[in-house]
Amino acid sequence: MPAMYSLWIVGRNGGLLYSRDFWQLPPIEFNDKLRLASSWFGMCGISAQLSPMPDSSGIQLMQADTFDLHSFHTLTGTTFMLLTEPHTPDAAELLRTTVYELYCDYVLKNPFHEMDQVVKSELFDHNLVALFAAVNRRWGVGLAQ
Amino acid sequence: MTFYIFNRKGRCQYYHEWQRLKPVRQGAGSQEEDFKLMFGLCWSMRALATAIDPKSPSMKQMGAPMRIGDGCSFNSIKTSSFKLQFLESPSGLKASWRMPGSGGQPCWGAGCFVLTTDPSVGSMVEQLQYIYASLFVELVVKNPLYTPGEPFLFEPFSAALNKYMRALGLLS
Amino acid sequence: MFQSRGSVGIVDKPFSRQGKQEVALSSFSYLFGEVVQYCQSRVSNIGELERKLDEVGYGVGLRLLEVLCYRERAQRRETRLLDMLKFVHSTLWKYLFGRQARDLEQSNTAEDEYMISDSDLFVTKYVSVPREMGHFNPAAFVAGVVRGVLEGAGFPARVTAHYVPVKDQARPKTVILMKFQHYSAIMQREQRIPG
Repeated sequence: MPAMYSLWIVGRNGGLLYSRDFWQLPPIEFNDKLRLASSWFGMCGISAQLSPMPDSSGIQLMQADTFDLHSFHTLTGTTFMLLTEPHTPDAAELLRTTVYELYCDYVLKNPFHEMDQVVKSELFDHNLVALFAAVNRRWGVGLAQ
Repeated sequence: MTFYIFNRKGRCQYYHEWQRLKPVRQGAGSQEEDFKLMFGLCWSMRALATAIDPKSPSMKQMGAPMRIGDGCSFNSIKTSSFKLQFLESPSGLKASWRMPGSGGQPCWGAGCFVLTTDPSVGSMVEQLQYIYASLFVELVVKNPLYTPGEPFLFEPFSAALNKYMRALGLLS
Repeated sequence: MFQSRGSVGIVDKPFSRQGKQEVALSSFSYLFGEVVQYCQSRVSNIGELERKLDEVGYGVGLRLLEVLCYRERAQRRETRLLDMLKFVHSTLWKYLFGRQARDLEQSNTAEDEYMISDSDLFVTKYVSVPREMGHFNPAAFVAGVVRGVLEGAGFPARVTAHYVPVKDQARPKTVILMKFQHYSAIMQREQRIPG
């Protein structure tokens, strides 16, 4: 069953700016989250460096036994990470369009947001949760509580 | 396209490149450094996959020791220009959360197989398993000249690998 | 003096009578965000921040009154309070937000208080006010515009913006509260003007 699990946003210096689960997931300690986010950020740089072909981007997708991890890098260096059930369709597209758009609208246009600071935007939260609830509902999977 | 075999401690045992448009010089700098970073990348991604695994029943503590083969592993990572296909061999990586390299355990067999392909290539899990089971075990492990964990260069293995890749249509 | 052929600078263009030039909402939102941050860096509390934004809006309001009277009203300006309020509610709102305000009402408790309420004002559209900032409403800027318009027309008032929760809706509406000064004097004046 396709499902979207959680979204993380990593800043230009590898710091975790935002994370939200749309699913009941085993909790990850906050410090571990910070470490994982910065590790992902670093590994994106290294994989571009190690690429046997020129002009590589950072990691766009990691496929694991129990999940897919989609990643979208904006031109300004912000990284979005979306954790989904393996083979969940449309995830990359959703990140690149709708989620990025919500971020631009409700985070970047919020006068109280500072670049590369933790994202605290009620409206972003609200819209994001609504978006993923709707997407998950479309596949007949509700937010497991 | 490139292919790596690392032992459990991260040493590169075998490397072959079929096509590499960006020379190592422009990437990691030296071949030695390329091996080191490539293994570091795989190892970190393996650790990340285990930590992030949404299906694991309990909260994981980063840094807790784990048994070989435990925890969620990853099959591939993809960028805009290549796809890294990963297989952890049954003898596995030394999957503790500490970076391997020290410790006195003997290193039996290989740790992981890494194949880089075009990003459009699909999952190669089965193919890597075939390379492990039918080529590596048969032509390397069973070769009396092979010292487990050490680099090797056996013509029959290289030839069989080439042939298999060609049969898969990955080589032009 | 010389003029470059082809392109005309924005200040050299004739002032259009119908001129309805629209600005992208994104551009406005980024600019407005910067204005709020600029103000925020120069104040020590929320009250001052609202006052600063109000001041910014006030200048806009004064000028807008001139423009709108010239453009939409064939150089007429309202002299009666109620007509002026309607002007704010419809003409000004249409110019600013592309539609009329939702409600215009007189307060039940004080006859010198009027309220215009609306939701989804674009100054509040993308703004999440941090919890520690309490009741701050970025529409203080719009309140300033309204104050400028009213004062320019001879109806000085204290104008403030407030969030008011709406039943069954996630987003609160914004109420612009206008408390007129010298209300009785205004009323007397209106009686003297022949209808």
